[in-house]
Amino acid sequence: MTELGKADFGVKTFFAKSHPNDKCGSNGLPLTPNSIKILGRFQGLTTIHHPRLCRYIDISKGRHERLIVVSEYYKDNLLKIGKTGKYGSVEELLTLAYEVLEGLVYLNRKSITHRNLSKSNILFDTKGNVKLSEYGLYHVTEYGANVSFPIGLPEYMPPEVLCDCPIETDEHADTETVVTDPCGPKTDVWSLGVILLEVFTNVDLWEGLSNPQKIYRTVEFLNEGKHPFDFYTEEYSLQDKIKVLPEGVLDFLRNCLTVNSKERPSPECLLQYKIFSEHNANKKPYKNGFRMFTVQLRSKDLELSPYDENGYTEDHLSERSMDEVYYLWRLAGGDLEGVLKSQGLVKTKPPVTLIPNFCTGDGDVFGQKRDRAELLDNTIVVLSQEQLRNRLSEVDEKAYYPLIHTDDDMTEFKRMPKSSSAADLLETASLPLIIREKDVEYQIEVDIPRCHQYHQLLSSPTAHAKFKRVLKAWVYYNPQYVYWQGLDSLCAPFLALNFNDEALAFSCLQAFIPKYLHNFFMKDNSAVIQEYLCVFSHLIAFHDPELSNHLEGIGFIPDLYAIPWFLTMYAHVFPLHKLVHLWDTLLLGNSSFPLCIGVAILTQLKSQLISFGFNECILLFSDMPEINIELCVQDSIRIFCNTPKSAIYRQHARPAKKTIKADSRPNLSYYSRDYNDQPTNDLSMEPKTIEELRAVKCPHISAEDMIELGEFSGPVQSKSPTKRKHNSKPMLLVIDVRVQEEFNKGTIPSSINIPFQSAFCPEGNLNPCPAVTTLNAHPLQVKVVVGGRNKNALNFANELVRLGYKKVCVLHKGIDVLRNTSILTIPPADI
Amino acid sequence: MSKEDFKFTFLSKDLVSTLEVPVPIPLKQPLNDFIGQLVTAHNLPCFIENELKEKLDAFVWKHTQQTYEKNVQKKIDEIKKADQASVDSLVDKWSKAFTQEVKTYAKVEAETQEEKFSKVYHALIHSPALDTLLNLEHTYSLTVEDLLRQRDADLGHLQQRQREEMDEAVKTYSNDEVNELAQNHFEQMQMIESKWTKELTNLKDTQKQEFREWVIKVHEDTQSQSKPYIGRMRNISTTLPEADDGERSEATVTMEESFTIHLGAQMKTTHNLRLLCTDILDLCRHKTHTVGGMVIPQPQRLQTAMSLYSNNLCGLILLTDNNLSMYTGLKKHFSRVCEQSTDFHFPDLQQQLTSIEQQLPLRDTSKGNKSSRESKDIGLQTGDFYITKHSNLSEVHVVFHLVTDDSIRSSDITSRHPVILSIRNIIKQCFRHDLHTITIPLLLAHHMSEEMTIPWCQRRAELVFKCVKGFMMEMATYESSSSRTIQFLVPLGISYEMFSGISNMLTTIFRVSNAIKVHLAGISTVDISRGFIDTNFVEQSFTYQLQKNEETSADGSTDISMLSSCVS
Repeated sequence: MTELGKADFGVKTFFAKSHPNDKCGSNGLPLTPNSIKILGRFQGLTTIHHPRLCRYIDISKGRHERLIVVSEYYKDNLLKIGKTGKYGSVEELLTLAYEVLEGLVYLNRKSITHRNLSKSNILFDTKGNVKLSEYGLYHVTEYGANVSFPIGLPEYMPPEVLCDCPIETDEHADTETVVTDPCGPKTDVWSLGVILLEVFTNVDLWEGLSNPQKIYRTVEFLNEGKHPFDFYTEEYSLQDKIKVLPEGVLDFLRNCLTVNSKERPSPECLLQYKIFSEHNANKKPYKNGFRMFTVQLRSKDLELSPYDENGYTEDHLSERSMDEVYYLWRLAGGDLEGVLKSQGLVKTKPPVTLIPNFCTGDGDVFGQKRDRAELLDNTIVVLSQEQLRNRLSEVDEKAYYPLIHTDDDMTEFKRMPKSSSAADLLETASLPLIIREKDVEYQIEVDIPRCHQYHQLLSSPTAHAKFKRVLKAWVYYNPQYVYWQGLDSLCAPFLALNFNDEALAFSCLQAFIPKYLHNFFMKDNSAVIQEYLCVFSHLIAFHDPELSNHLEGIGFIPDLYAIPWFLTMYAHVFPLHKLVHLWDTLLLGNSSFPLCIGVAILTQLKSQLISFGFNECILLFSDMPEINIELCVQDSIRIFCNTPKSAIYRQHARPAKKTIKADSRPNLSYYSRDYNDQPTNDLSMEPKTIEELRAVKCPHISAEDMIELGEFSGPVQSKSPTKRKHNSKPMLLVIDVRVQEEFNKGTIPSSINIPFQSAFCPEGNLNPCPAVTTLNAHPLQVKVVVGGRNKNALNFANELVRLGYKKVCVLHKGIDVLRNTSILTIPPADI
Repeated sequence: MSKEDFKFTFLSKDLVSTLEVPVPIPLKQPLNDFIGQLVTAHNLPCFIENELKEKLDAFVWKHTQQTYEKNVQKKIDEIKKADQASVDSLVDKWSKAFTQEVKTYAKVEAETQEEKFSKVYHALIHSPALDTLLNLEHTYSLTVEDLLRQRDADLGHLQQRQREEMDEAVKTYSNDEVNELAQNHFEQMQMIESKWTKELTNLKDTQKQEFREWVIKVHEDTQSQSKPYIGRMRNISTTLPEADDGERSEATVTMEESFTIHLGAQMKTTHNLRLLCTDILDLCRHKTHTVGGMVIPQPQRLQTAMSLYSNNLCGLILLTDNNLSMYTGLKKHFSRVCEQSTDFHFPDLQQQLTSIEQQLPLRDTSKGNKSSRESKDIGLQTGDFYITKHSNLSEVHVVFHLVTDDSIRSSDITSRHPVILSIRNIIKQCFRHDLHTITIPLLLAHHMSEEMTIPWCQRRAELVFKCVKGFMMEMATYESSSSRTIQFLVPLGISYEMFSGISNMLTTIFRVSNAIKVHLAGISTVDISRGFIDTNFVEQSFTYQLQKNEETSADGSTDISMLSSCVS
């Protein structure tokens, strides 16, 4: 993390080149706007931390192709300081050169060429150290291809750059501009040479010359025999001034200004010059922060600064990282476009005056006027931190240092699972060179440009490349699975969140799938999906029999609409900003929680669904309608809490982990724990075949759950949060459907007896009797239908669902399961 | 991207192993990733990783530098070989790049009269002066109308006289003499016509100049006075008499239905659709509007004037033929509507067309040699469109004249038909230039004709709906924030059954939002936008606009709030 320190935030805006014509890319899809491409490439820049470089903080896309970039900024720059003549001193000059080179070398190692070096973007922090800025522009614009303006200033451009034509904007070209031969690090060396010569002599070389003259003369260097260094010194009579320079420094400058870039030293090479030996000796290794989940020693070179009373700063904000402060700035009402507007930087002409005159059928446009506002304006606007500081003035000091642990926190921390093998994670970044199946590759290629493309970041080519790598890595690491469509949607939120850390995005995906989508991605996943959908329909019937009956009546079964929901955990049907909301809750729940979300969605759309026929329902879900996600989350939590755990048991859920410790606290988290992770016994739920599941409309409940919810073995330490309050009504109503004789021989306490054979009248309604009255008086209780060995219980339950009774479920294995318990009692004679 | 062979030898126990792999230069992925791949693919032992990394790093670095050098050398060689002319052109290109694209080098553009006027006008129309401004415009337009009436009467009179003369002549004179007379008549007619045209042009020029001077002057006054321009603001409710019942219900009775729809698979954007049946020129023409016998400006005029220089423009697609002149059919009527009053902001229609005509040859120079098109064939073609701008039309700022031909009458045009593709280009222009409302002739016809049977209409409506939906989804991808209004226009004379059939089709093709569904179907439905023109509405919309005279809201909420205010 880089602390804010005394830095300011500088905002700059520029326009990406718009694609004028209807061009299509090689994949037949419309071209990605240049602004989106830049947005994607920019993300990598935000990871650059170096003491000689200004941090890039944020980029945002405005209307049309406008981009707004926020970066670290200081008011002092070389243009200003150079005029004071400070760099007339050799030491100062060398320090300047050394610091600039340090920054350049770091960039070069990241394969970035500055290409934009000028006096105005060599900044100085408050301690007078060099901070290079604007170094990412050439890189993010794909070497200038994505913008229509030239990058850099003519006076500092080396001859080889000027040899090449500037990138031209052809309004009617059919191909996209691509720069195949970007500039290397040595271009910056020339610029540095010119800049150093200028600040040392305090003469602006080529001052007063027009641009064409400057360019012409630079190109002339190529033919002229005279060394540019000599040319400059003679042209501007600098001989006297440079006389004082030691030989080494003269050599340095002369080498920088070598015409032939082959002979020109690279920044790395220059740093090894003898003149910098002192600087090199005093150099402190730069360690800035650490990557998350790294195996490197984080504190190897850590030197804690000695505690100093005087060094204690009152300005806590400056101790926070820049990203954090910027985030707070936005929270405090910061508005980038507003800031630019107030500085007159986004003044555009009224659109009516810019409309073209005519347009051909091919989409070529004529007579369009250029808005001057689209030209490059190098002005940097400083964001005022005043408002933020005012807002924070009341905040307690401690709030600035949230990571100081108390003892309690530490114990918590120790319990956190250690990363099983960090090396695994590093490895995840690597990719197989050969992907097994060509088809998979093709499918991924096709899916990615259709996945969450409204999201600016994810629609950029950078994101597409990352998508591809993460998905392929997943396919490679899970040979037991196949690539199913939908995996791309599943990957999207993780990638969007960990854009600069593909390995982490992959690990998230890798951990998410086994928990919620165990075996969903098998080649033949029908058994898994079928069971899932069956349990889903049971759950609908359990909570909303009316809706369930209607949907079943019109034949609108979950198979027709819910598969993409579950296969992508809703990532395919909701936009990311809503999805994160949903997943925040989903991740806390167990693997059955997604079923409850499905029911919550249906509940929200109930009024429409009830009134719709089959075709309208299909149409409604062909494209998920707007869902109030907040409500959906609340509903699904409610549904989850009101469902016995065994009712949403699935045999194909992830099997229990091998090491089940005898938990001291049996239910650490009821919500997040899976049924399969609980210890099992005779009374637990057991797998059922798909036919068995389909035979009944409502879920089964295990005897274990029933005993617990009904508190038949006395008040126990409840496993469920649905623990009833003291003295409240019982949660269960047990309905014994066996014939009365058997009922009288022994049954579950406080159960009612409605023998199946005599329960229903010919019209299909329940025959009125005292037991039915009791049943009707308990609409909100979970109704457990208990039967013998025959199918009566199932049939009875189905009938109850048909009649619209809520929360009906069947006791798994019937009354027999309780024989070995001491629960069964003889009912009081009067019932 | 080239590949270089990288060789790496290492020792494990006594075994010497050599790794040879092609490495892409430049290496686009992080070095660590690449090494990870190598280790996995070749099953390399972990103890060599560090060394491998070091070597590979140096290798990649060296070769990347070499690539740079090679590229540079190629460029330098080229320029060294080049003659003076190409060096000159190179320098020229560079300096052009700087002067045309970078503000510090660009010529400082002096603010043109047009720009100044537009700014001042926009400021005034959003100030208390708007009322005066509108009335002034209105008065001017009345004068023009008056002149037009005189012209029409004069011409009518002349025609009448000539006809009588001709009738007489046919009876008595010889053929040659009749011809001569006809010739005379024609010349006479032309002379009179040009006299009127000249007079009209003069009047308009004078008006335009006066108006502009007045606007600038008022603005200067406002600037110089410390107090805002309130003095001349009238309270409209006090000066206007009560509307008669007849005036209240005068509005055109038409079929109209509005929908709010959602577009997009995951991220939804909200847009408004409107299906209406009316004459397309009704959207352009100002209707005489009286309140209590007093002729006052229409409220649409206010809306149009206020949004003229905003980011909320209205456009209209007018189908036309490949002839730029405006003498026949609908075009003639359109040009009549345009000349009805002075356009204070843009050149008149004829001038705009002339300048478009001048630019037409550009298309060939741009596409140049590779165009398969015949070089002499520079006229307009089906699928082209030209654009005119207007400030004096009722509900429209921008008109897209879309060139069509008879192929459009066929019942089986596809989504690849040039006219359909052109609609895509028009929608694209709408997104690029902030036209938030666009009117599209749904059946791609302005009048009902005999080939337009019920199945024909259904197919056409379905095609256009689906294509427009597709285009909207495509364009909205990256500009998701703003909502648009699309008006689908069907010609007058369509049956009620057909209209409701189309309306039902719309709801199946577009996802209609559940929240708002303003259902106004039916013959008897009063057109909301034009039905409620009475003092009450005028007053309310005025106050509404005055409250927010700083900025016009750029979104569609204006319409909604105006709607609700007039309903209440």
